[in-house]
Amino acid sequence: MPDRQRAADGGSGVRVAVRATGDWEADVDEDEGILVDWFAREGRSVEAGDTLCEIQVEKVSVDIQAPAAGTLDEIVVGEDDAFAIGETLGWIQSE
Amino acid sequence: MVSQDKLCELYADMLTARYYEERLQEEYLEGKQPAFDISAGPIPGELHLAAGQEAAAVGVCHHLRADDTVTAPHRPHHVAIAKGVDLKRMSAEIFGRKTGLGKGKGGHMHLFDPDVSFACSGIIAEGCPPAAGAALAATKRNEDAVAVAFLGEGAIDQGAFLESLNFASVHDLPVVFVVEDNDWAISMPKERVTDVEDGSDRAAGFDMPGIRVDQDDAIAVYEAAGEAIGRARDRNGPTLLEVQVHRRMGHFMGDPQTYRSDADEEAALARDSIDRLEAELRDHGVDDDELDAIRDEAESRVDEAIAWAKEQPHPDPDDAYDDVFVNPPSGVTTEEPEFELAEVNADE
Amino acid sequence: MSETDEVIDRELTMSRAMVESIAHEMREDEEVFYMGEDVADYGGIFDSTQGLLDEFGRDRIMDVPISETAYLGAAVGAAQEGMRPIAELMFADFFGVAMDQIYNQLAKNTYMSGGNVNVPLVLTAAVGGTYNDAAQHSQTLYGTFAHIPGLKLVVPSTAYDAKGLMHNAIRDDDPVMYLFHKRLMGIGWMPAPSGPKTPVPETDYTIPFGSADIKREGADVTVVTLGLHVHRALAAAESLAAEGIDVEVVDLRTLVPLDTDTILESVRKTGRLVVVDEDYRSFGVTGEVIARVADRDLGALDAVERVAVPDVPIPYARPMENEVIPDADDIEARVRAVASE
Repeated sequence: MPDRQRAADGGSGVRVAVRATGDWEADVDEDEGILVDWFAREGRSVEAGDTLCEIQVEKVSVDIQAPAAGTLDEIVVGEDDAFAIGETLGWIQSE
Repeated sequence: MVSQDKLCELYADMLTARYYEERLQEEYLEGKQPAFDISAGPIPGELHLAAGQEAAAVGVCHHLRADDTVTAPHRPHHVAIAKGVDLKRMSAEIFGRKTGLGKGKGGHMHLFDPDVSFACSGIIAEGCPPAAGAALAATKRNEDAVAVAFLGEGAIDQGAFLESLNFASVHDLPVVFVVEDNDWAISMPKERVTDVEDGSDRAAGFDMPGIRVDQDDAIAVYEAAGEAIGRARDRNGPTLLEVQVHRRMGHFMGDPQTYRSDADEEAALARDSIDRLEAELRDHGVDDDELDAIRDEAESRVDEAIAWAKEQPHPDPDDAYDDVFVNPPSGVTTEEPEFELAEVNADE
Repeated sequence: MSETDEVIDRELTMSRAMVESIAHEMREDEEVFYMGEDVADYGGIFDSTQGLLDEFGRDRIMDVPISETAYLGAAVGAAQEGMRPIAELMFADFFGVAMDQIYNQLAKNTYMSGGNVNVPLVLTAAVGGTYNDAAQHSQTLYGTFAHIPGLKLVVPSTAYDAKGLMHNAIRDDDPVMYLFHKRLMGIGWMPAPSGPKTPVPETDYTIPFGSADIKREGADVTVVTLGLHVHRALAAAESLAAEGIDVEVVDLRTLVPLDTDTILESVRKTGRLVVVDEDYRSFGVTGEVIARVADRDLGALDAVERVAVPDVPIPYARPMENEVIPDADDIEARVRAVASE
C-alpha cells in the first residue's frame, strides 16, 4: 500500500497515510488491533508528531502519531473497529 | 516423610486449581475479543487468577478441617479449592448466577462458604483481623479449631496485617498467617515497595516464629505448614509462614504486563510447582497411567462444575434488594416494653 | 467566550486531560509530586498517570507500598511542609484502610490549627461501577467524603472540565479530593460513553470550584447530577425531547463547594427537580441538594424526585448491578413523573 498519494483534486499537496505501525510491532503476536480513540475529527489541522489516535493490540495501548503536518483528510478505521497491523487508519492531506 | 497417598491428594488439588484457572481464563476472555472490554462476556468484572500459587494453598489447607477458618484475599480460587469449597456453587458465583455461594452478589473476590469455614475480602490484608477473630472464638470456646489468613507479599506492608500479628501474638491465638510471595504487587516488584526480602522476618518483631519456604515446593510447604498449624492446634501461639510462589497469568486478566521483563516471566514459569511434584511422584514409582488418571479426574471435576454453573439461572434484578440484613429478621424485637419510670425534674 | 479566536478542535479523553494538567503543574513547580500504587511503570490502573514516569522519573512519580495510611499520611505531612503532593487511592473504596489520615488529619488540621497550618494536597481516587466489580470496588462514596468539613470535592464529567479542575485542585492551598469515574476515563479496556471526550485547550486554564455547569439548557425539568450520570442524564434528555419534555442538565462539577445558586436559578425556571447520583440514596448527595433548594426557596419546588443507588451494596451479577445503578431509563421515568405533576 503506498504511503503517499497525489491529492484527488490535483492540488499541490499529497495525501499521507496514517498507518498502524511502529516499534511495538516486535512485541506483539496478533495481527489485529482495535482503534480505541481518535483525538481529531476529519478536517482538523495537525502537526507532525501530534497524537492522532490510540489503538489497542493484545490489550496494550499504543499512540499513533501524525506522520506529517496537514489536515486530517479521512478517517478510514472508526472507533471500536478492528484493523490489521500495518493497515491505513486514516489520511492526512499535507500542506 | 509425606505418604504417597497424601502426595497424590496434593497433586490432584494442584491440578484441579491450575486447570480451573485455565478454564476460567477461556471463559472470561469469551466475549472480550477482539477488543478487551472488562464488562463484556460471561464473566464480567476483574478476575484475579492464581495459576502458579497452588503449592501454598494445597500445602497449607491439607492440614485443615472443615471447622478451621480460612480467609483468602482477592485471588482466592486455589485456596478455596484446597479448603474444599463447593466447586459448583463457587463457579456459579463467579458466573454471577442465582445458585452461587453468594447468590451472585459477591463475585469472585468475595466467596463465602460457611460449610467449610471459608471467607474472602477484596481489600488487601483485610482478611487478617477476621482470621484472628475466628481463632479468638475457638480459644474462648475451648475448641481446638485453628484459623489461617492468606495474603500476598504486597499485603505485608499493610496496617491490618501488622496489627493482626501483634493482636494474635499478645493473645496467643491459634492462627497462621500465610504470605504467598509471587514477587509482584500488580506492577510493583517486591524490592521496590517492601523493606525485607524475606517477609517472614516480620515475625521477629511480634515475638512469633517466622518460616519461609522459598522453592515453589508443595511438599516443603506441607511440612512447614504442618509445624505451624500443629503449633496453633496445640495452643502454642501464632506463626507467620511465607511461601514463594509464582504468577503465571498477570495480576488480573487483561493485565498487559508491559512492566514485567520476559526473563522474569520465563524464570517464574520455569519453577512450576506442579512439575516438581509430578517428578517427585514418579520417583515414588507412580506411573503414567496413575498420573493420567489423577489429571483426568481433576479436569472432569472442573469441567463438570463450570458446565453446571453456566446452566444456572441468572439472578432477578429485584434479588438485589435482599440480604442487606438477615432475612427473615431474627434476634430483633418489634415491641418495646413499658416501664413506669420515676419523673426526674432537672430543677431538683 | 474564548480568549483567542482560535477554535479548539483537539480532542482528549478524560485521563489524558488530567495527565496533561498534572504534567504542566509538575513542570511549573518542582514541589508537585505524585504518589500511589502502580502509578509509575503501570501509569495508573485507570491511566491516571500515563507517561508521567518517563518525563519526571521515580523521585516525582512514586510507586508506594500497599500502605495507604502511611503514604496518604506522608502526603499530608509533606503538604503541611509546603510541598504540593498528589496522592492516589487506586479505588475510593480503599479509603477505609486510611480513614483516619483522611477524616481526622487531612480534613481537620487547617481548622484545628486556627488556620496556622494548611494542607495543599490533592487526593485522587477512581470511583464508580457499571463493570461488575462488586461491593468493594464499585462505590462512588461522594456523600461520605462531602460530609466531612474541610475537604473540597471535585467530580469531573468531561475532559475539558477534568483538566481545568485539576489545575485548580493542584493550585488550591486546601485539601482537594478529586474523584474520577473509571467509566469516563477513556481506558481501552473500559469503553467510555461518547460524551467525556471533548476538545481541550493545550494551554493551562482553571475552572473555579463551586461553579456548576449547565450541560444542556431546558425549560421543563431540572436534572442535577455529576460524574458518569451527567452523560446518562443527557441521554435521557435527548429521548425526552422527542416526547416534548425539555430537560435542563446541571453538572455540579464540585460537591464542596456546592453551587446552590445555579441549581436554584434552574429550579426557579422549571419548578421541577430530579437529582441523580451514583452514590447510596440515604444521607447523601440527593437529599442534600434537595434540602439546599428547600431551605432557600421551598416555594420554587413544584415537584421533586431523586434517583440513586437504593441503599444496597453494589451487587456483582449484571442483572442486579444494572438494577441498582441508575441508567438513562430510570432518569427518564422520574423526569416524566415530575413533569406530569
